[in-house]
Amino acid sequence: MSELSLPKKAIDWFRNITTLAIVVAVIWSLIGLEIRWERLIDLPADLFLIGTLMFGNLDIADFPNLAGAMWESISIAWVGTLIAALFAIPLSFLAAENLVGRPIAWVIRQVFNILRAVPEVILAIALIPIFGLTPLTGVLAIGIGSIGTLGKLFYEVIESIKKNPLEAADAVGANKLVRFRWGVLPQVMPEMTSFVLYRFEVNIRASAVMGLIGAGGIGNDVALALRFKDWEVAGMGLLIVILGTILVDAISGAARKRIIKGTQAKPIELAEV
Amino acid sequence: MTASKVELPKKPGIPGAIIFSLVFAFVLTVVTMITVEFSLTEILTNFGRRNLVADGLFNPDFGQILSERSLSAFIETLQLAVLGTVLGGGMSMFMAYWATEFGNPIRWLRAIVRTFNNVVRSIPDLLWALLFVTAVGIGILPGLLALFFFSMAVVTKLTSDTLDGIDMGPIEAAKASGSGLISMLRTAVIPQILPSYTSFVLYGFELNLRASAVLGLVGAGGIGSRIEFFRSRGDWSEVWGLVLMFFLVVFLVERFSVTIRRRLV
Amino acid sequence: MISFKNATVEYQPGVKAMDNLNLEIKEGEFVVVVGLSGAGKSTLIRTINNLVPLTSGELYVDGEAVHDLSRKKMRALRSRIGMIFQGFNLVDRATVLQNVLMGRVFKLPTWRTVFGAYPKKDQQVAAQALNRVGMLDRAYSRATDLSGGQRQRVGIARALAQEPKVILADEPVASLDPPTSHAVMQHLQKINQDLGITTIVNLHFLDLATAYGERVIGLREGKLVFDGPGSECTEEVFEGIYGRSLTAEDTLSEEA
Ligand SMILES: Nc1ncnc2c1ncn2[C@@H]1O[C@H](COP(=O)(O)OP(=O)(O)OP(=O)(O)O)[C@@H](O)[C@H]1O
Ligand SMILES: [Mg+2]
Repeated sequence: MSELSLPKKAIDWFRNITTLAIVVAVIWSLIGLEIRWERLIDLPADLFLIGTLMFGNLDIADFPNLAGAMWESISIAWVGTLIAALFAIPLSFLAAENLVGRPIAWVIRQVFNILRAVPEVILAIALIPIFGLTPLTGVLAIGIGSIGTLGKLFYEVIESIKKNPLEAADAVGANKLVRFRWGVLPQVMPEMTSFVLYRFEVNIRASAVMGLIGAGGIGNDVALALRFKDWEVAGMGLLIVILGTILVDAISGAARKRIIKGTQAKPIELAEV
Repeated sequence: MTASKVELPKKPGIPGAIIFSLVFAFVLTVVTMITVEFSLTEILTNFGRRNLVADGLFNPDFGQILSERSLSAFIETLQLAVLGTVLGGGMSMFMAYWATEFGNPIRWLRAIVRTFNNVVRSIPDLLWALLFVTAVGIGILPGLLALFFFSMAVVTKLTSDTLDGIDMGPIEAAKASGSGLISMLRTAVIPQILPSYTSFVLYGFELNLRASAVLGLVGAGGIGSRIEFFRSRGDWSEVWGLVLMFFLVVFLVERFSVTIRRRLV
Repeated sequence: MISFKNATVEYQPGVKAMDNLNLEIKEGEFVVVVGLSGAGKSTLIRTINNLVPLTSGELYVDGEAVHDLSRKKMRALRSRIGMIFQGFNLVDRATVLQNVLMGRVFKLPTWRTVFGAYPKKDQQVAAQALNRVGMLDRAYSRATDLSGGQRQRVGIARALAQEPKVILADEPVASLDPPTSHAVMQHLQKINQDLGITTIVNLHFLDLATAYGERVIGLREGKLVFDGPGSECTEEVFEGIYGRSLTAEDTLSEEA
């Protein structure tokens, strides 16, 4: 049998350059950061020590207080998410290219992009001087901070609607409002609701740390307990954060599954660019 | 042609589950609003009032980013995000593998891996940072550890969900042709998930980048410590200058990362 | 009732989907339009309710000059023309009844439609329409829970609820199996006979065209190439319309 040569493989420049860029970035970071790696040797022992201090003798007497603080965190997340949805819904219709002109859509999208880039904690820092160390600060930080992501998720849903019902609405002589009510809304409502719930799950995590800078919720209690080496309280607080978050995730996730049932929605986590 | 009157069938009631959810959502909203002492008038009057924060926002000091200390803190932040993501993403490869059926046939062990990951995922980035600051002291190491755990959990979750859904055909084919574990992974599993995995890691990087800006608030390194410094002095022009510059960079890096992710999937 | 005068449609300059068409359709006629894919059947149907506007020429429907109509009047005209779609075009997440009531929207104030508060009288019209296609008992089912044939019957009921003068159907059976196709065509035929509604149906199965078309219109490249009763449609006639010999794909039943 004579030797066969395979056709020459094309060089994938995109891939090579990205790989090179990543390698350079990693080396640059490794050299640049002055990390005291030797501290890592003690880390397991330290963690174990803190772990035993925190969870070794949990006191049930701390529970009611901390559970109340966790409830405040959940409340901050929920009210904040609703406020964000209140703004994101109308804005997202203006950001959908299939409903409005390109220039308007572009402007609204940039607003979303900017809001998306800023973490809630930074917003909270800016809001504290105005609203004080209150839960309302946390609510507004989360509310403003979530408009961008929700808006983006929403307009992607709106842009993926099927044209058929719209065509049917046109054919019966419907006006713009009726066209919207029966051609657009029924198609986007379930996904939008489920995105709101998803964002609520994300925001639980954001609101749990609001307290670290004094903007309400359980983070405050945990931060103070750690600072004053009140280990059992910190342990109980951490436990409640974990259990509370997992519980809310489970309930909200189950609700999302039911809402989305029978629709071909893409996995949410991915959609959240 | 006149048709005789016909009766519509009896209208079914609204399903109990829907009524329940609506009532539940309504009650939840009312109770939570009371909990956070929600007040529209307070919001409106406070936003309407002239304040130093807004003054700073309209008069940001962009030059601050170029000062020596801010610049090095800024670079430190980027480096933390890169390294945290690379380490967290790398670790998540193993975690995700151990969380799937073909990677870890022992059911209870799998459950432990998954539960562990869910617990890690339920702790927010900044709380991780605070915990590690408590454990190893102030510095950039706790920041790196926080980003490591945080992104590891997110990427693991996404990757293991993808692994659960991959086509088992190629795996069977590889086994049938007598390949060992490594070559099976190499030929049947990795090609299937590599694009998604890479895109998850980039997503983790975007999250880490945003998180790395606030690590400093609890003493875990990066630009956050500078932001906190100026905030405590009430220098809002400097705060906003740093924040805006940083998020301009985040914004650009994110666009770049999103572009790569688009090409991958 | 409907008359095209030198009507032309160009989607892109130079490409004529309708080419200088002259055609009269009288009140109460049942017309089947045939032609190869791309011949301009859908275009013909869609010009009648102005979903596709004419590029040049004139078109009169029910006394209105469609080529020169204000928005408001156009919606009024559309409300008098029922349309049935190949893909049914139902609102999936709404009930059958809500879908049928869509046919009433033009006659009602907007707020009533938006909140779904339809008067008894309109509900009765919808019920009659559903009854006619045998779907009354499914009034409160979701559109997604129906089979293809049932969905198309809801589509017909929606058109009927408009109490239309004209019904347009663009390949109404193209996504249905043979027995269901016949059932749907029979519904359309019966409605035409009982209510005297002018009906225009696009079909690509020739045996369906001869079986149901009182009058068959053949199109090729946007031009009218045949106009005669279905009974006169022999294989030669269709080969003339298509410009090629027939194959098994051109008929619904197996034999060509
Ligand atoms: N929206 C459009 N934009 C551009 N060209 C179009 C458009 N719709 C139709 N055409 C073109 O116009 C011509 C006629 O199309 P039409 O849809 O009327 O054909 P048809 O007979 O209904 O075909 P089919 O049996 O495939 O539905 C075709 O050449 C088609 O490519
Ligand atoms: Mg067509």
